[in-house]
Amino acid sequence: MKNIALGQYYPARSPLHRMDPRIKLIIAVLYIVAAFLCKNLLGFALLAASVVLLVILSRVPLKTVLGSLKMVVFILVLTVAINIFLTKEEGAEPLWSFWIFEVYTKGLYSALFIALRILSMIIGTCMLLTYTTTPIALTDALERLLSPLRHLKLPVHEFSMMMSIALRFIPTIMEEAEKIMAAQKARGAGFTEGNLIKRIKSLIPILIPLFASVFRRAFELATAMTCRCYRGGDGRTRMTTMRMHAMDIIVLIVSVAALAGIVSCNYWNIGYTL
Amino acid sequence: MSIKLELQNVTYYYGKGTAFEVKALDNVSFAVKERSITGLIGHTGSGKSTLAQLFNGLEKPTEGKVLLDGADIWDKKYKGGRLCFRVGLVMQYPEYQLFEETVFNDIAFGPRNKGMSEDEVKQLVMDAVSFVGMTPEILEQSPFDLSGGQKRRVAIAGIMAMQPEVLVLDEPAAGLDPAGRADIFAGIKRYRDTTGASVIIISHSMEDMAEYCDDVIVMHKGKVMLTGPKDSVFADSDKLVAAGLDIPQITRVMRLLKENGLDVDASVCTKDQAVAELIRAFKLK
Ligand SMILES: Nc1ncnc2c1ncn2[C@@H]1O[C@H](COP(=O)(O)OP(=O)(O)O)[C@@H](O)[C@H]1O
Ligand SMILES: [Mg+2]
Repeated sequence: MKNIALGQYYPARSPLHRMDPRIKLIIAVLYIVAAFLCKNLLGFALLAASVVLLVILSRVPLKTVLGSLKMVVFILVLTVAINIFLTKEEGAEPLWSFWIFEVYTKGLYSALFIALRILSMIIGTCMLLTYTTTPIALTDALERLLSPLRHLKLPVHEFSMMMSIALRFIPTIMEEAEKIMAAQKARGAGFTEGNLIKRIKSLIPILIPLFASVFRRAFELATAMTCRCYRGGDGRTRMTTMRMHAMDIIVLIVSVAALAGIVSCNYWNIGYTL
Repeated sequence: MSIKLELQNVTYYYGKGTAFEVKALDNVSFAVKERSITGLIGHTGSGKSTLAQLFNGLEKPTEGKVLLDGADIWDKKYKGGRLCFRVGLVMQYPEYQLFEETVFNDIAFGPRNKGMSEDEVKQLVMDAVSFVGMTPEILEQSPFDLSGGQKRRVAIAGIMAMQPEVLVLDEPAAGLDPAGRADIFAGIKRYRDTTGASVIIISHSMEDMAEYCDDVIVMHKGKVMLTGPKDSVFADSDKLVAAGLDIPQITRVMRLLKENGLDVDASVCTKDQAVAELIRAFKLK
């Protein structure tokens, strides 16, 4: 349960873990763009190759990577099915037909491409962000990337502070919820029996102490921050500075080049093009 | 005296098979006697709370057995009824689990889950309140309006009201002032004397253990370091000191006296024993 709360961060020492989170964030965006721009087999081959490269670089075991796909299997199967059966190709012979369903070559390809797109997007961003970057580093990076917006009077710092606090307290509150659940189970509470109303009622002994504790923590944190003279973002300096190393720049350049490569593949018309 | 609760070669891992795997207990074996008060001592992180959750079946040992009245609680053929009503667990900081509108309803939560009739529930709540030394006026108040020490006592009464045969308390006196601590321990003793239950108290305060327990189990880094009647455990005070654990102040004084040539028994750990021992030693002189 806690591992989910931690955004599945996988502690390890790898080139990907060491990279500047800002660069990882930018590359993740480039990655998603690339996945959407891909239109033919060569492009997808490049995309797939980069996924494999990321997995290797992250040193996250393959089992863990595949485990994270469990949640999207349903979406994947559904979209593939929809694409296969509901794509109509004007003026082409259906490969196979049954009742109201007709399967065309175009449908098969678009199903394959959609599947590759979803898979590479999820694995790629997981490798770059959730598995190798802590949520706190991520919000920090987001704040810095967005900090120019400050000049437009947008509360960038406050927003990211709220995000960090929320993220920071997810594991704490999950732990608390687990403890309260255990305590109520020790008093004979059951959470899985009975009809819906009974089950909702059985949540009361958990939710009330949990809310009480969340509010208590919020007030305590506010007091603690006030005691340390926190008064918003103006003039604050940072304990950790993010440094871009030569490696980060090189990786960024390679990624931009890869994106350009994938996009230019679209003009070559190799294999099937959507 | 017969054995009430027993652990045989219990090993327990948190997050087995993940990157976060922790071995919290390592081949732990010990027995808790009927009607005894057993103290479970150890540093933070030595596995005390993990043990507590194994006692009442909240967690299942990765390896090994937990026996209640000689029956394996994880055996498929186990017929002992719902374990949480037989082994009552007061978790650490139990005051944060209160949720009802009145103290009465909160204490009654356990007995009602046990399926008692409303008359029985009423009797059990009254008994529980008197065990923890509170008066019935408190029953109509909201638990959220009480002081910290009172909340703690209400939470403990909530477990006592289920009349468990084994009462396990995880750091029941943590964060309370001396008067509050004494109230809690007096209540626990009253419960044991009235119902004849076995009690297991988790603590890292040697003073409390020396004062209230019959037997002591010392945990160190997930293993049992010492176990036995409290006198024999505190007689091994060298081992406790070597492991970086405290020893009761009285025992420390007696050790110093012995080191300085007074012929006393350095294993005593309560004030009364120490006084008797000193009188004996001076009479001999
Ligand atoms: N829910 C949990 N998940 C993972 N590890 C845990 C969990 N609870 C306790 N631990 C670990 O198990 C070990 C024993 O903890 P615990 O039983 O709470 O010790 P104690 O109560 O003696 O302080 C510690 O190393 C702790 O970090
Ligand atoms: Mg503990």
